[in-house]
This record gives sequence, C-alpha cells and structure tokens, in this order.
Amino acid sequence: MPAISLSNLVFCYAKGDFVLSCPSLDFPHGELRLIMGANGSGKTTLSKLMCGILKPLQGDVRIFGKPSSALSLGQIGSDVGYLFQNPARQLFAGTVWREMVFVDELLGRDLEASAQRAQDLLERFGLGALKERSIYNLSGGEKQRLALCTLLMGGAQFLILDEPTVGLDRQNREILYTIIDDLLEEGRGLAVITHEKELISRYSNARKIKVERGQVLV
Amino acid sequence: MKRADPRVKLLWVLLCTTGALVFFRPMWMLGLTLFSLGGTLLFGVTLQALGRRLRGFLPLALVILALHILFVRAGNPLVIIRGYPVLYSGGVMRGATTLLRFFVILCSAAVMARENTRRVLTALTKLGISYLFSFMLMIALRFIPSFSTSFSDALIALQLRGVELKKIPFGQKIRLYKDLVLPVVADAVVKSKELAIVMEARGFGALPTRTSYLDVRMTFADWVLTCILFSLGLLSFGFYYLFG
Repeated sequence: MPAISLSNLVFCYAKGDFVLSCPSLDFPHGELRLIMGANGSGKTTLSKLMCGILKPLQGDVRIFGKPSSALSLGQIGSDVGYLFQNPARQLFAGTVWREMVFVDELLGRDLEASAQRAQDLLERFGLGALKERSIYNLSGGEKQRLALCTLLMGGAQFLILDEPTVGLDRQNREILYTIIDDLLEEGRGLAVITHEKELISRYSNARKIKVERGQVLV
Repeated sequence: MKRADPRVKLLWVLLCTTGALVFFRPMWMLGLTLFSLGGTLLFGVTLQALGRRLRGFLPLALVILALHILFVRAGNPLVIIRGYPVLYSGGVMRGATTLLRFFVILCSAAVMARENTRRVLTALTKLGISYLFSFMLMIALRFIPSFSTSFSDALIALQLRGVELKKIPFGQKIRLYKDLVLPVVADAVVKSKELAIVMEARGFGALPTRTSYLDVRMTFADWVLTCILFSLGLLSFGFYYLFG
C-alpha cells in the first residue's frame, strides 16, 4: 500500500484563476520522489493536496489507504508531515525545547519519553546545544531542521518538503542532504518539491514528477 | 451604486458601525441589519462573497451566542431543567443582537474590502485627513489578511503534527490559541518594521505633499446618496435617542 495515492485529481482555487490536474500517482514508503516545476506551476498546490490542507474538486487522495476526505488534519499529521516553504510559519512555542515538546504537553502524553525522544532528535539534527534558544534567534537552516524535528516528533512516516533548499548556504544544504539520506535509510517516504539543480542531480536516481502550468506529468 | 465614491461608502460604513454600537434594542438592530445587507448588495458585494466571509467567522459567532445564552440571566426563563432555569429570554435576545451586530460590522468590512485602496486613500485625503495617517490606516487594514494567513498556517502546522483540534477541551483550546497568537503578532511587528524600512528606502515622506494621477470626484448621484444617508442617519439616531 503506498503512503499517499492520488487518483485523477482536479483542483481549482475559489477565485477560479488556477486549475491543477493530476493523473493517478503513488508515493510509496521508503522512497524519494522529486516534484519539479517552474515557479507558479502548481507544485505547492499539489503538495497541499497530498497532505489534506487542500481538498480536491474531483478525484481521490488516499493516505495510507484511507481517503483524506474522511480524515482530519490531525489524523493525517500522525502519518504525514509537511515542511512549509517558510518553516518559521510552523514554529510558535517560544524556545527550541518547548517547540519540541509542545504537542506532547498539549495532549498530556508521557513527558519523560517525549523529552528523551526530543533530546535524541535535537542531537541528531545538530540542535542539541540550542535547546534554550528562542526560535526567533535561529538561522534559516536551524529553523528548518527544528521544523523537521517537530514533524518527526509527531511520528510522521512520510514527509513532504516544500523547496527545502531555498535560502540555505552550502553547509546547511549538505546537512539537509544528510538528513534526507538518513530518513530514507530509516524507511520513511519523502516527496521533495524543488527546482534546485544541485538537489536534482544529487538524487538523480529518484523518480521525478514534473508540474507544468497546473498539469502534473508523471 | 457599485461605482459610488469611497466617501459615500465611508459614510455608509460610519452609519452602520455607529448603529451597531449604539442600538441595543433587537428590533432596531434587525432594522440596521437589513439596511446593512441592502447597502452591501447595492455596493456590489455578492451574496456568495459575503457568505464566504461569514463562514470564516461562524465558529466565533456561535461561541459568542453560546456565551450570551449561558451567562445572561435576564427576562423570562425559557427552559427549566429540574427546577433550575438554564435558558432565559434575555440571554437569547442579547445573543441574537450581538450576532446581528457582528453581521453589520462584517458587511461594512466586505464593502470596504471591495474598494480600491488608492481610491480610498485619495478620498480620505480629500476629506482633510493627512495622507500619512490615511496611508497608515490602509496599511494596517492590509495587515489583517496577512495576520489571518499566518494564524491559519500556524493552526495547520499544529494539526499536521498530529493534533486533533476537535478533541481538545475548550479551556485548553483557548490557551492553545493564546500560544499561537503571540508569534503571529510578533511576526506582524517584524513585518511592519521591515515595511517601514523599505518605504523609507523608496523615499516615502521625502516631500511634504504627494501628487497623484488618480482623482475621485463626487458625482450628482453621490451627492444625492450622501444627502439621503445623512438625513437617514440624523433621523434614526435622533429617533432612537428620543423614543428608542
């Protein structure tokens, strides 16, 4: 069973000025898919349909076999994580540490286990020394890694990364590539939206999905 | 009336919002609501567009209604459970009036949101309000959609971490919203600072006055409409003050 499966999607924004159509398309576990296309071609719209932020006018989105229309965003979020183009928009809890444990605190989960998991993830993503740092004082790369950590804290098995290399310097891009490699090795699925040549050539073996003027070309 | 001068629309908004604040009697509020709805449609806002705007505020409106119904204990008891009155006519009327007030304000917002910003700016300047103040006002209004996008992004991000909002108890949800609002406000402050720098870099305020190609002129129809609105405002507020 694929992690995300799209079938004959048609989507249109309320103003009717942009239409996206997509034939049947599967995103399996443990594999990387690159979604490529020019600015404004519909890559982000496609990714938002994949994780249920947007609902299609026609067609079906299935997440781990279940139709996304029957799932709440919270239920989808337990399986699928979405890294925004601007990760600062998904951080809100004040400090790095609070950001990590925010959801577990909110839901009253086992805080000891949560703290251990948060500590492990922060160390792994090179943020261990920044636990007490305010999220407003993090660099772009650090914010992005923290946002990724929070998605993994939620238990996401499939991650959608929306243009993750934008604004990152070479060192931070290398860190990101290592993280992508690790996540794939762990068996998580990934869909990376990009038009960055470096990333595309680095993952030249990954299957590529092109989006052109609202048409998804498989 | 769709092309009415922004000053006419501003006068209509002033009447509606003042009425919404002043009128407390349900029948007066109902009259004002009909007046607002009529104006909104005549000024070119479609029912669909108004519906979309209302839908976003529906949960908040329902919470307000529920709070009034639960906590206002005035009038006659309508529902009594085991000898304990849980619903009063006063609570229902107060809740309904507040909802109508909410609706009137949304109608005013819908009409002004449809108007071209530059036309409103020029109109405000012609009314004698300084360009700097008018510009600040318009920029502040433009921040509202950006504010709401940031907040909804934060909510989406939170849910995509596996949080089911519907399952969170009401009190905890309020605390959660409080946590979410703070960074959104901080983001807005940062954006406004950046905007101020960018505007100064582009020479904003370098000269004491500003010329503009765009001009707004009151037509005969606009003057007639202004007179009608003005008289209506004087009559209704006077009547409400004396007999309402």
